[in-house]
Amino acid sequence: MTPIIKKSIVGLAMVAISGSASAAGELNLYNWGNYTNPELITKFEKAHDVKVTVTDYDSNDSALAKVKAGGHGFDMVVPSANYMKIWIDEGLLLETRPDQMSNFKNVAKDFNNPVWDPGRRYSVPWQWGTVGMIVDTSVYKGDINTSALFLDPPDELKGKINVPPEMNDVISAAIMYLGGEPCTTDKDLLRKVRDKLVEAKKHWLSMDYGMIEKFAGRDVAASLYWNGAGFRAREKNADVRFGYPQEGFALWMDSVAVLKDAKNADNAKLFQNFVMMPENAALISAFARYANGIDGSDKYMPADMKNAPEIIIDPKLSGAGKFLLACSPKATEMYTAIWTELQK
Amino acid sequence: MSSSIASSKKLFSIYKLPGFNFIAITCFVMLYAPIMILVGYSFNEGSSLALWEGFSLRWYYSAWQNEAVKDATLLSLIIALQASLYSTVLATMAALGTTRTRAFRGQTAIYAMINQPLMVPEIVTAVALLIVFATIKQATGYQGLSYLVIAHTAFCVPFAYLPIRARLEDMDRSLEIAAADLYATPWRCFRRVTLPLLLPGILAGAMLAFVISLDDVVITEFVKSAGQDTLPTFMLGQIRRVITPEMNAIASALLAVSVLMVSLIFLINRKKT
Repeated sequence: MTPIIKKSIVGLAMVAISGSASAAGELNLYNWGNYTNPELITKFEKAHDVKVTVTDYDSNDSALAKVKAGGHGFDMVVPSANYMKIWIDEGLLLETRPDQMSNFKNVAKDFNNPVWDPGRRYSVPWQWGTVGMIVDTSVYKGDINTSALFLDPPDELKGKINVPPEMNDVISAAIMYLGGEPCTTDKDLLRKVRDKLVEAKKHWLSMDYGMIEKFAGRDVAASLYWNGAGFRAREKNADVRFGYPQEGFALWMDSVAVLKDAKNADNAKLFQNFVMMPENAALISAFARYANGIDGSDKYMPADMKNAPEIIIDPKLSGAGKFLLACSPKATEMYTAIWTELQK
Repeated sequence: MSSSIASSKKLFSIYKLPGFNFIAITCFVMLYAPIMILVGYSFNEGSSLALWEGFSLRWYYSAWQNEAVKDATLLSLIIALQASLYSTVLATMAALGTTRTRAFRGQTAIYAMINQPLMVPEIVTAVALLIVFATIKQATGYQGLSYLVIAHTAFCVPFAYLPIRARLEDMDRSLEIAAADLYATPWRCFRRVTLPLLLPGILAGAMLAFVISLDDVVITEFVKSAGQDTLPTFMLGQIRRVITPEMNAIASALLAVSVLMVSLIFLINRKKT
């Protein structure tokens, strides 16, 4: 074989490989607003010669409604864990088998077989976070890794506690504190949950959002809240710490999946594999400020996030984290009744 | 006439009712305080919406530098311009058809139908349009901007129609009748008499339609295709993450445009009387 022919065969082979890996063209990502790092998109566009268009949605419901109606023109969507089952059961997602993709080995073992997408046959981790206790340690010096801080509050915290107006997060935390499983319909346990919450509420200052400012101004000393906010509150008030209740705390996760009627399914699959690369997952985190579920991405994280205890769960406590899924209508009805009573 | 008004004023004046000042002031505070606070914090130096850290224009600058904001603003303006143009033309024709014709059966029904977008909850229209457009999108594969322009035109029609119709009803019919008496053709009469007199109403209607289109969230959110975020839907999307005063800055700018347009409508309408 002459060198020229050899070269051209190698060249052809390379074209063939890159051709199968990168269909030059378009990709339409339908994602939560303010959630997609433009750098990540530029990097993907350059790497695969694809024009990416990002369109925003503001809730799981509106994304679901639009995609179900059809004719939407999107290729990928990023549903939350508690909605993923609906997307899969409605047959809206393409089974892309991320578990067989080359970068799947990077997915952290806590997230490579989630209950809401068993075996990761559809979706790839985007961002995840936790619901725990933000505490001002200048007010309270004890153990912060417990839901007792808002359910059986110590004297130092009484009257300085906030609870967010989020039914599922609050009731699930109380159920887990009393030894139950989220979405339980056990009436005796739920009666205890109700009594505990009603009793504890006397010691709460507020049921509100906007805690970053409240902790910065030292108006509130403890709150059940989200880890990302805990991180930002600590930036403004150095005494703030984030605790993971050992009785059980809620996890949430958004994962990126490909739509069944995607026009650019090949590019979408490339994108799924792309975000499982640690350095790319780190770009997502650097922008949205939450953890990403990809092992090895911490190396590429911004310095302030690398060792942040709000982002990296203490391994001793990580077992207590549970995903909140969509509960049965019966459970939801009972929780709503408790919630209504609590709001009085 | 004027004496009777004066005497009735003595008998009954709403300003003298007990609690008038209190209720009026409460209403104004409730209406404007949140907006004032929003505008105030758009000038915040820090990244907080509740702690004042000094005056700065940095969020206006950062919004100005934000490519996503620029794209969304441009798209909002393109849609609003087209939608206000088309809806004003339609509204003018509708207004002429309901005022410059002999009264016909079903006139009230037609009047109600034209104003339907004012009564029907926006979410109902949005879901209906979502379903219809989804079918068309699937059948044709066309994903362009026309869906948004059509949707906006549809709900802008009554907003353009009302001021135009009001103007037509106020106008002195004798001028048009005189023109007709002097053998002006209906078209010539319209072009030389009706249209010039109607112009302030048309302008007011167009501006109102423009503002309404610019501000729309719900219908746009449901109808938009890939890459078609307008400024309001872009802003709505931002609530997922922490909201910075950049949103306040964008909202304040949008507010300024709306206030400007409404003031212009007011000035135009005042001039003609």
